[in-house]
Amino acid sequence: MSAVYLDCNATTPLEPAVAEVVRRFMERDYGNPASPVHDFGTFARMAVEKARGEVAAVVAARRDEVIFTSGATEANNLAILGLAAHGLATGRRHVIGTRIEHKAVLEPLEELAARGFEVDLLPVGSDGRLCVEELREVLRPDTLLVTVMHVNNESGIIQPLTEIATALEGHPAILHTDAAQGFGKDMIPLSSPRIDLISISAHKIYGPKGVGALVARKRSGSLPPLRPLMFGGGQEQGLRPGTLPAPLIAGLGTAARLAGRNHPERNETNRQFRERALAALAPLKPTVNGDPAYALPHAVNLSLPGIPAARAIDALKDLVAVSSSSACTAGSTETSHVLAAMGVPRCMADCSIRLAWSHLTPEPDWTAVVALLESIRTEFTHGG
Amino acid sequence: MDIFDELEEATNYQLEHGDLPVWLAEPVLEVARNRDKYRDKEYLIELLLMQVREYDTYAEAGCCKWAFDWEDIKRSLKKLLEE
Repeated sequence: MSAVYLDCNATTPLEPAVAEVVRRFMERDYGNPASPVHDFGTFARMAVEKARGEVAAVVAARRDEVIFTSGATEANNLAILGLAAHGLATGRRHVIGTRIEHKAVLEPLEELAARGFEVDLLPVGSDGRLCVEELREVLRPDTLLVTVMHVNNESGIIQPLTEIATALEGHPAILHTDAAQGFGKDMIPLSSPRIDLISISAHKIYGPKGVGALVARKRSGSLPPLRPLMFGGGQEQGLRPGTLPAPLIAGLGTAARLAGRNHPERNETNRQFRERALAALAPLKPTVNGDPAYALPHAVNLSLPGIPAARAIDALKDLVAVSSSSACTAGSTETSHVLAAMGVPRCMADCSIRLAWSHLTPEPDWTAVVALLESIRTEFTHGG
Repeated sequence: MDIFDELEEATNYQLEHGDLPVWLAEPVLEVARNRDKYRDKEYLIELLLMQVREYDTYAEAGCCKWAFDWEDIKRSLKKLLEE
């Protein structure tokens, strides 16, 4: 039996219906959407517009508010660095983020700081959530941007976006959220019209890798004052040049549509999986990192005292594929910056693993998993 | 309500409240009312539904493709018959 994949926060398997659509536009309908002078190009263009509408529908946006990118990392860069020129021109050089953001947000924020912006990174509590009151306290008249992730990739904890949107009512700051982990999974908060910019990724919702979008909501008929980061074509309203990858975009659209349509069933399947997983692992006396009341049902971050994460991940690889942190930092030996921000002691953080599943995940052999982890604990406890 | 019901409803709505002409609505309704024939072509039906919902006689008059005109719908109908 091959290992069961439990790393769905890193990437998800491709939904079969999505694969079918991607294949269609790879093999048969391979026209360039920017060349609508014949049926090939026109059909590809239609597929792109269909996908645009499908992505927009998930967050109650308009079709013309969706800008396709190569993924959430590019969308985050466009959202954050794309506002720099406006900030400099208007003298608004203050930016607010959180300490638990993904590197795809933290590093563009570092770049803004290097360009003379003042960046406040807010802490989170042991529940894994930002305190909105602290956001209110640091908000200034010259705050250009507030960027808070929707769902944390390591803890699976949902951030209080609705409350943040309310806190920003009447303030001109642009509100951006990196929704790579929450888009299509936690539906209501992203519909808030106060959220100006939403970064999403296809491969976190059973779509293909290499495509995502920045949803840029219009205020008074105008897009946020973004400037492109690349040049060389007028695609995507001049904000993201380059030939549109119609197969990937069509796949993203289908994945978004299925996420919306099948949301209740998927959520329930994932909730039941979570219950079974926690019950099966209970003999190991794990500590759940973050408040489960705010967790998405498809992921959990556990500290297993006495069981080093690196050893556990390696030992489990023939049974289950799990990780200890963000896929983008998994190769590093540094302690998770997310767990550190949540106040998890290093000894516990180094014994933390992340399990993330999906509606497509088969049941692992939990008995074997627990037995293996128990043997590692014995080895480390008694072996020194 | 499945995709075929949605297509029929959207087409009737555009006939009554929008600019969708009868000569274009008729073949679309023909598709909507023949779910057995078109059941395996869900992607194209979804495309057609979007085009009907956002039908605009003057869709090609602006610089951007934010609506769909009779040519788009005709092309989708042709594709449905060809596949």
